[in-house]
Amino acid sequence: MVRMKHILILLLIIAVGIWAFLTLFDSEEKRVKKQFHLLSEGVSKESDENIFTLDQKIKKIGSLFEDSCEMKIPDHSLSGSLSRDEITGYAARGRLHFSQLHLTFHDMTITFIEEGVANVHLTARLTGRTKTGESLEEAHELNCLLKKTDKKWLFNRVEIVEVLKK
Amino acid sequence: MIRIVCVGIFAYLLFGHVLIPFRIKGHSMEPTYQNGQFNFCWKFRYLFSKPQRGEVVVVRFSGQKVMLLKRIVALEGDEVQFRNGKLFVNRKEMDETYIRYPCNWNLPPRRVEASSVYVIGDNRDGPIENHFFGQTSILRILGTPLW
Repeated sequence: MVRMKHILILLLIIAVGIWAFLTLFDSEEKRVKKQFHLLSEGVSKESDENIFTLDQKIKKIGSLFEDSCEMKIPDHSLSGSLSRDEITGYAARGRLHFSQLHLTFHDMTITFIEEGVANVHLTARLTGRTKTGESLEEAHELNCLLKKTDKKWLFNRVEIVEVLKK
Repeated sequence: MIRIVCVGIFAYLLFGHVLIPFRIKGHSMEPTYQNGQFNFCWKFRYLFSKPQRGEVVVVRFSGQKVMLLKRIVALEGDEVQFRNGKLFVNRKEMDETYIRYPCNWNLPPRRVEASSVYVIGDNRDGPIENHFFGQTSILRILGTPLW
């Protein structure tokens, strides 16, 4: 009975240890996911957003990209190699058209193709309402490449997967 | 308790992998399918056969939850073209009885790539640029609507 009690305590300690390890230590996968979470926060907008929040969010978006990022988003006329400033400028102008905007990511598959390079395949959902009252609801399959620079995962390429080719 | 677990597992397998429930959002398949209608995607439809011209299919658009409902108009190797709103496949005008709204679309001829099908919605109202259609890989076809 005493032995059983010891085994149970040991198992409990191991479980707590695993939980603590997974919670406290960020794996590379978690760090990559965090960048998407930050991008989602940066792009999303509420109707009562003030200038200070807008400025913070635009800066946040810029900090997530490499100095030069390859974009292939033809639906939004965004293609080619864009600088960080161009991306933030585009994001700032784009957000201006909306009174509400939400960007969420789903079905994320992360593959580390080599040391410091992660390929992420996912679904991006963009919902919101324009200032003229039209509602927006879009979903796209994306392929993103992130590179680790100075211990930080930064977007190097963002590409919409072309499902239907006219 | 065991009965509830068994029902749960059965429901998960049936509605998660065989008959996937979905609700139509949009007007691209009108008048055949209306916005808001409920249906199931029958995933075993192409287990022993290949998709054919004229069949309505469910295409995986993104992830596991975003799907498109479209009609196959051409198969691999076929040549597709629109001339004054008429669909031509292999230079032969198609008799499309399922189209209600006439269109004036023009699209130069193009060939459907290997392992692909050409899909279009039944509703061709409005300019061609506003419509979402084209060739897609057969691997993206999840199945067909149950009714």
